This record gives sequence, structure tokens and C-alpha cells, in this order.
Amino acid sequence: MTRKQKSKVLVYLVLALCSIVVAYPFVFMLLNSFKTGQDIINSPYGLPHVWTVQGYVKVIQELNLGVMFKNSIIIALSVTGLNVGLNAMVAYAMSKLEFPGRGLLFSVIVGSMMVPVVLLMIPTYSMYYNWGWINNFIVVILPAGLSAYNIFLVRQFMITIPNELLEASRLDGSGEFRTFWSIVLPLSMPVLSTVAILAFMGSWNDLINPLLYLEDRSKFTLQLGIYSIRTEIPGQNVDQLWAGLAITTVPVAIVFFFLQRYFVRAFTGIGLK
Amino acid sequence: MTPLKKRQTVTGYLFSLPWIAYFLVFMLYPLILAFKISFQKVSVTQPHKAEFVGFGNWVKVAADPVFWKSVFNVIYNQSIFISLLFVISLGLALLLKEVTKGGAIFRTLYFLPVITSVTVAIAVFIVLLGVNGPVQQLLVSIGILDKPTDWMITKWWAMPIVAIFNSWKWFAIQMIIFLGGLMTINPEIYEAAEIDGAGWWQRFWNVTIPQLKPQIVFVSTMNIINGMQMFTESLMFFGSSGGPYKAGMTPVLYLYKTGFNDMDMGYASSIGLFLMLIIVVLTTVQWKIMNRNETKA
Repeated sequence: MTRKQKSKVLVYLVLALCSIVVAYPFVFMLLNSFKTGQDIINSPYGLPHVWTVQGYVKVIQELNLGVMFKNSIIIALSVTGLNVGLNAMVAYAMSKLEFPGRGLLFSVIVGSMMVPVVLLMIPTYSMYYNWGWINNFIVVILPAGLSAYNIFLVRQFMITIPNELLEASRLDGSGEFRTFWSIVLPLSMPVLSTVAILAFMGSWNDLINPLLYLEDRSKFTLQLGIYSIRTEIPGQNVDQLWAGLAITTVPVAIVFFFLQRYFVRAFTGIGLK
Repeated sequence: MTPLKKRQTVTGYLFSLPWIAYFLVFMLYPLILAFKISFQKVSVTQPHKAEFVGFGNWVKVAADPVFWKSVFNVIYNQSIFISLLFVISLGLALLLKEVTKGGAIFRTLYFLPVITSVTVAIAVFIVLLGVNGPVQQLLVSIGILDKPTDWMITKWWAMPIVAIFNSWKWFAIQMIIFLGGLMTINPEIYEAAEIDGAGWWQRFWNVTIPQLKPQIVFVSTMNIINGMQMFTESLMFFGSSGGPYKAGMTPVLYLYKTGFNDMDMGYASSIGLFLMLIIVVLTTVQWKIMNRNETKA
């Protein structure tokens, strides 16, 4: 073997080793989710002695994980829809419409990115409490429906759409809303897919907001369910815990494998400049 | 005003309306409310019994050892996290750049932790890193550790372990950003350096690092802003108390515990505003440094 070939083998070896470190927790989780409770406690690190889906059945029947799954889907999809629609609207105003005060408004949007909303959880809690929003899905949907960061992303993209296209549409007699709907929105699909992925993942994986505002078990999201299984009954129902972890992770992972190009672009911001 | 201009003004405000409403209701109003609450002694369950205490809460935060411990903890955590993440992600980006076949498979696999929820990942890691877990057993068997320890209740290990966990969770994002940066470096610069007799290390230090500067500045800004707000990791690993030595306490967790476990909303609001002040100062300083670097370059 030449020196070059040797170094290539070494490169693959390191990459493969890192793959094991990355993948092992997932394999471990999946294997445990197919074990009996006894098996998990006695030999957590081996293969299942008996393969069983008991954990899945129990977690869905007894802990209502199916309801939590449904809740998570409803919330995450609503947040995604609001984010795509509303951020696109505001970004359109910020990039393609001329009106007095636009500059000021845009500085407020950019400046607000510095305010960590999570630090306002005390006043927002008492607000939502007074409005009767506690235990209502609206509390985890509406405040997450817009984001300064996403407006900024979409605006940067919309700026690159040639004005001639919009003017042609306006000359054809289309109103601003029609121009937005039939010209700007379709052209902005790449950046809107990024917004959709970031919004969906943010909502699906959110723990702090459901933890604060959703107290009723029938309103729990998957993340909150996992958190409460872990804290309420330590040591017990381990089979349900592992099945629950798998149910929370696998659907997102499957979507990721199909749309990985979009996911990678969404999280790294590459291809947006 | 021409009709077109008038129409644009009307639609402009109409299209901006969602943001204006969002900003007023979910940011400005809570911010004002936070200021008001921070001068009161008030409980979550009895908001009508608010009592004005002046600057009492603010003075208490400034002198609160737990608050400063929590600030220290996130800085301690971020120093380890940022260095570790830098080495791992740049190292893997350099390796992936050399690979022509199979690179996409590795990239996809490395991205799995990013899309997994922190809650789920920590539930798995608590078992894997535990006293009887395989990681500690491996470290003992190769002689790095003497005996397995319950690191969650130690004085100094909490934050380094969280940093290791977060490196596992997030390295792929930074790796892809670095990989993108590496791809844009002109190979002629490397060739020129090689002709000048520069070794691998010299080329890395004098070509790769300076050329990656925009990416490095970008990721470090992101890391600092996110790091100051760490919450879920600490809550999942150590519970709302932050562990016996407060070794896992973070400012946001402290805010959560004060407001919702101890029911002291006035004090919790002061913690939030105090922390916001720290973040604004840090971000401003960082922007200053970034701009100075830009004018230099």
C-alpha cells in the first residue's frame, strides 16, 4: 500500500469510529425498547433475550402516548403553518413594499433577536394565566408562530427576487396580495422549506413551554410525557420509557432521511446567502 | 401620493401587522410587566397580594451566590463546549474533505443527534454515562478512570459532562459549516504554501484557520447566545435544584426554580432581567470585536 492509500484507510477508520459513537445511543435505545422490563434492568447493554413489543403496547395504552403523539403533531404543524405564512408576509413587507417607517420596523425586528424570550417566562406566565390560556394549545402555538430570526432569513432571500417580476405582475393589474401569493411565495419555496423545518423541529422538541403551560395530562406533548415518565416513576415502567423514547425519535428520523438535504441546509444556513 | 405608493403603504402596514402585534403582545408588554414585577414581592398563585419592595430584588440578585454560581457554570460549560466542539467539528470537516466516496453517508449519520430532542437524548445518556454504564466501564478497563463515579453529584464534573453531551448533540452543524468553508478555500493557496516548504501543521495554521475566520466568528456568536440560555440539559440531568453543589445550576434553571417551585415571581423576574442585561453586554462586546476584525481584514 502506498502512503496515500494508507492515510485514506486511516481517514475512513476515524470516520467509522465516530459513526459508532454517534449511532450507539440510538441502537441502544432501539434494542432496549424491544426488551421486557426485567431484561432492561438485568442486562441493559446486551441484545434482548426475548424480543417483545410489550413496552410499546403498554406505553400507548396506559400512558396515553398516542394522545401525546397526536397533541405534538397538532401543535408542531400549527406552529409550522403560522411560521411559514406569517414570517413570509412580514418579510415581503420588509423587502418588497415601500412604506414610511419600514426601516424603523426592521431595526426593531433585528434588535428583538437579542431579547431572549425565555427570560420573560414569569410575566408571560401571569399574562397567559390571566387570559385563561393555561392548558390550552393556543399557549404553545401562538407565541411560537412568528420569529424575528425567520423573518430575517426570508427577507434576505426575498431581496434577491428581481423587482421586474413584481412590476410585471402589478402592470397586469394584480393587487399586492395576488403578487405576493402567486409570484413571491412560489419563488421563496427554498427558504420557506427551511423555515418550516426549523419551526417544526423547534416545536416538536420543545420542553420548557409545554412544561410551564400544559398541566393537564390529556394536553401533554411527547417531550413532556417523556419528562414526566422519567421523573414520576423512577425505576418503574422502564420498558415504557424506552418504547416512548423510540416513538418520539423514530418518526422524525424517518422524515429526516427522506428530506436530509433540506434539513442540513436549514440547520447550517448554507445556501441561503 | 400616487395610487401605487398609497396602495403599497397600506399593504405594507397590513403585512407587517402580525409582527407588530406579536412584538407588542409577546415581547414589549411582558418586558414592561417584568420590570414592574421585579419591584414586587409576588407569588404565582396570589398575584393580587403583590407588595412593593423597591430595588430589594435587584440588590438580592446582585449579591446572590447561587445566581453568580449559575453564571459561572454556563461560562465554565461554554469554555469547554466551544473548545471541544471546535476540535471535533473542524477535525471531522478536514477528514470529510479528503473523502470522495461515502462522505454523504457519514454526514447523514452525524446529523442524527441534531434532529433528536434534548429530552430523549439525555434520557439515554443518563443510562449510558451512569455508574454502571458502558462508557465508565470502558474508561475503567483501559485505565483512564480508577473506578466509576456518580458524576451527577460531584462538585466539578457536572458542566464538563454536559459539554461533552452537547458536543455529541451539535457537532454536525458546525462540521457542515466548516466543511462549506473549507470547500471555498482556493487550492492554489495550499499549493503555493507547499512550494514554499510549509508542512501540514504550518499550512493548517497559516492558511486553513485564517481562511475559516468568517465561519469561526459565526459559530462562536451562536454558541455564546445559546449557551447563556441553557435550561433543558440541566433540568433533565440534575433536576430543578441543580444538584447537591449547584454544579449543574444555570441562570434560566434558577429563574424557573425561583418562579415556579419557590413561587417568588418578583425575584425570578429580577433574575431574568439581570441575565438579559449580561447577554446584551456580552453580545455588544462581541459585535465590537467582530467589527474590529472586519475592518482589519
